[in-house]
Amino acid sequence: MPGLNFDNYQRNQYLASKGFSQAKATSTGTTIVGCKFQNGVVIAADTRATAGDIVADKNCEKLHRLAPRIWCAGAGTAADTEMVTQLIASNLELHSLYENRKPRVITAMTLLKQHLFKYQGHLGAYLIVAGTDPTGAHLTSVQAHGSTDVGEYLSLGSGSLAAMAVLETNWKPDMTREEAMQLCSDAILLGIWNDLGSGSNVDLCVMEIGKDANLYRNYMTPNVRIAKERSYKFARGTTAVLQTSVRDLLDVEETVIPFGQKDSDAMEIEA
Amino acid sequence: MSDPSSINGGAAVAMVGKDCVAIASDLRLGNQSLGVSNNFEKVFQFGDKTFLGLTGLASDVTTLSQVFRLKTNLYKLREERSIEPQTFANLVSSTLYEKRFGPYFIGPIVAGLDSKTDKPFICGFDLIGCIDFAKDFIVSGTASDQLYGMCESLYEPNLEPEDLFETISQALLNAVDRDALSGWGCVVYVITKDRVVKRVLRTRQD
Amino acid sequence: MDIIIGLTVKEGTIIATSKAATRGISILKDNDDKTRQLNSHNLIAYTGESGDTVQFAEYIQANIQLSTMRENEIELSPKAVASFVRNQLATSIRSRKPYQVNALIGGYDTKTQKPSLSWVDYLGTYVELPYGAHGYSAFYCTSLFDKHYRKDMTIDEGLKLLQMCVDELNRRMPIDFKGVYVKIVDAEGIRQIDFN
Repeated sequence: MPGLNFDNYQRNQYLASKGFSQAKATSTGTTIVGCKFQNGVVIAADTRATAGDIVADKNCEKLHRLAPRIWCAGAGTAADTEMVTQLIASNLELHSLYENRKPRVITAMTLLKQHLFKYQGHLGAYLIVAGTDPTGAHLTSVQAHGSTDVGEYLSLGSGSLAAMAVLETNWKPDMTREEAMQLCSDAILLGIWNDLGSGSNVDLCVMEIGKDANLYRNYMTPNVRIAKERSYKFARGTTAVLQTSVRDLLDVEETVIPFGQKDSDAMEIEA
Repeated sequence: MSDPSSINGGAAVAMVGKDCVAIASDLRLGNQSLGVSNNFEKVFQFGDKTFLGLTGLASDVTTLSQVFRLKTNLYKLREERSIEPQTFANLVSSTLYEKRFGPYFIGPIVAGLDSKTDKPFICGFDLIGCIDFAKDFIVSGTASDQLYGMCESLYEPNLEPEDLFETISQALLNAVDRDALSGWGCVVYVITKDRVVKRVLRTRQD
Repeated sequence: MDIIIGLTVKEGTIIATSKAATRGISILKDNDDKTRQLNSHNLIAYTGESGDTVQFAEYIQANIQLSTMRENEIELSPKAVASFVRNQLATSIRSRKPYQVNALIGGYDTKTQKPSLSWVDYLGTYVELPYGAHGYSAFYCTSLFDKHYRKDMTIDEGLKLLQMCVDELNRRMPIDFKGVYVKIVDAEGIRQIDFN
C-alpha cells in the first residue's frame, strides 16, 4: 500500500505510556544559507549530522536536487528533509513532463509547503529552496509547519543566527557570482565554528540564469583530519577465534556433455 | 524503564577495507540487566554479498529480518538476480520511513560488495531510515558511543581482509567490554570478491 | 509473580510451572495449571496479566489444533509453533491493547528428533534456549542452570536440577507458590509427572 503506515504509532504510544522514552532520530543541527546575486542564486550548507550530542556523519550531504536547476538545502530531521525532498523532486519531474515546461521554483516551493502543512509540522523539514527557471532566479524558504518566505538572503537551522550575522554585515545588492559564493561560504563557516550543531565542510551550489547548476561538494574543507602519527594495525592472529566457516562464492564446476550419447540424460531438465 | 532500543542490548559495526568489507555483531540478548541468550546473531545475509546488521529492540530485529527476507526473496523472483547492497540500502530506508510516525526501534547497518564491480559499500541508518553513507566505518547499538571511539582510533583505510578482521574484531571486542548490555560472544563476517568468511570470536563472558 | 521454568535435556524438554494462582495479596487457587497442550509434541507455558494469559494460550491452542486438522494430521514443528506465537505477540504489541503474556514453548521435533525450548516475551522477542525462565524465577534459576546444566543430561538428571531450582525458589521467594507442575515433552509425547 502506498503512503505512510501508522501501525506502530499506537504501539509506541502504548510503550511511551509504560515509561519507555522515544528514541532519537538523526537530525541535522545545521547551518544553511542562500543568497541571490546579479545573475542567479547561491545556496550553501555545512556537512555535520548529529544524533543527540554524537556526530553521526562528518560529511553528509544537505544540498538536495529538486530539479536540474532547482536545489534545496535542508535542516531539521534528516530523514524528513531527505524523503520530502525526494518525493517533491519526483512530483516536480512528473509535473514538468505533463506540462511540457521547465519546472519552476515557485512550483517546488508550493508542493513542499502544501505537503508539509498537511502534516502539521510533524515532518521536521526546514528548507531553503532556490533555483533558476524561465521566470528568473528565486530564493525562498519553507518551514516545517508550511509557512514560506522569500528573500534576497536567508539562513536556517541551529547555526542560522551565526550565519545571519555575516549575511547582515556583508550583504549588498547586485553582487557578482564570486561575491555571493564568498558571502555564503563565510556565513556557513561562522556556523561551523560557532554553532555546536554544525561542523566539518562547506557544500555550495550555484544556479546561474541560463546555465546548468553547479554543485561544489566540499567547496571548503577547513576540518581535514591530520594523518595518524602511528598505525594501530594488529598483528594477525591477535583475536582468538572459536569457529571459522568459509563460503566460497566462486566455485566453478565444468562438465563436458558430448552430443549424441545414448545413455546421457545430463541435458534433460528433469533427470 | 529506558527507551525500547536499549532493553535487549547489542552492538554492530561495519568497516571497509581494500576490496573487502567486514560486518560484525555481538551475540547477547538480555532483558534489562538479565542475560537471556548468548546466541542471538544480529547479522543477516540477503544475497551473495549483501549483509545487514540489526541492533535494537529484539522483537523488531526479528520482525524486520523477516520482512527483509520476504522483500528480498520477492525481489529475486522479479529480477532474477539477488539484490545489490546499494539497492538494499534504499529498500531498508523506505521500509523504515514508511513507519515514520511509529518507527521500529532498531539501528540497521548494511555492508557488502557490488556484484559487478566488487566495490565495497557500507552505510548506516537512524530508526526512521535516514541513510548515513560513510566511506570508512559504521557503528550501531547500545555500545555505539564506545564503537565510535574504538573505530575512530583503530581504523585505517585499505586494510587487507586479514588485517581488517583484526581491526574490526578488536574495535568491537573492546567496545562491548565497556557496555553492560552488549557482549556475550561476537561474530565477524569478512566479505571478499570470492568468499565470505564467518568467524566466531572468543570473548569475555561477564 | 508466577514461576515458569524450562530446560532441554538429551531426549526431551522439561517444563515446570507454579501451582498458585494469586491476585493481589491472596492465593486464589493451589492447583492452577499454567500450561496448554498445543499438539502431540508441543506445550505452551505462560505467565502475565491474568485474563490475557488463558485467553491467549487457548487462542494459540485452537489455531495450532486447526492447523493440525487442515494439514491432514501433520503437526507443526516446535520452531513453526514458536514462530507463530511470536508473530501473534509481535502483532499484538502494536495494537490498542496488547496481550501481556510471556511464554515458554516446550517441544520435541519428531523429524529431527531434537527437543527444543523457545523463550518468547510479550514484546515478541523470541529465542531458542537450552534452559530459561520468565519473571523473578529467572534471576534465581539461571545461575543454578549456568553452573549445573549439561546438554547431554538425562531426564532424571534434568529433574534433579529442576528440584534444585524449586528448592531455591522455595527458600528465597517471599510468597508460597504452592509447588510446581512438571511436564515432559519427548518422543513419546507430553506427560505430567509427580514432583514436589
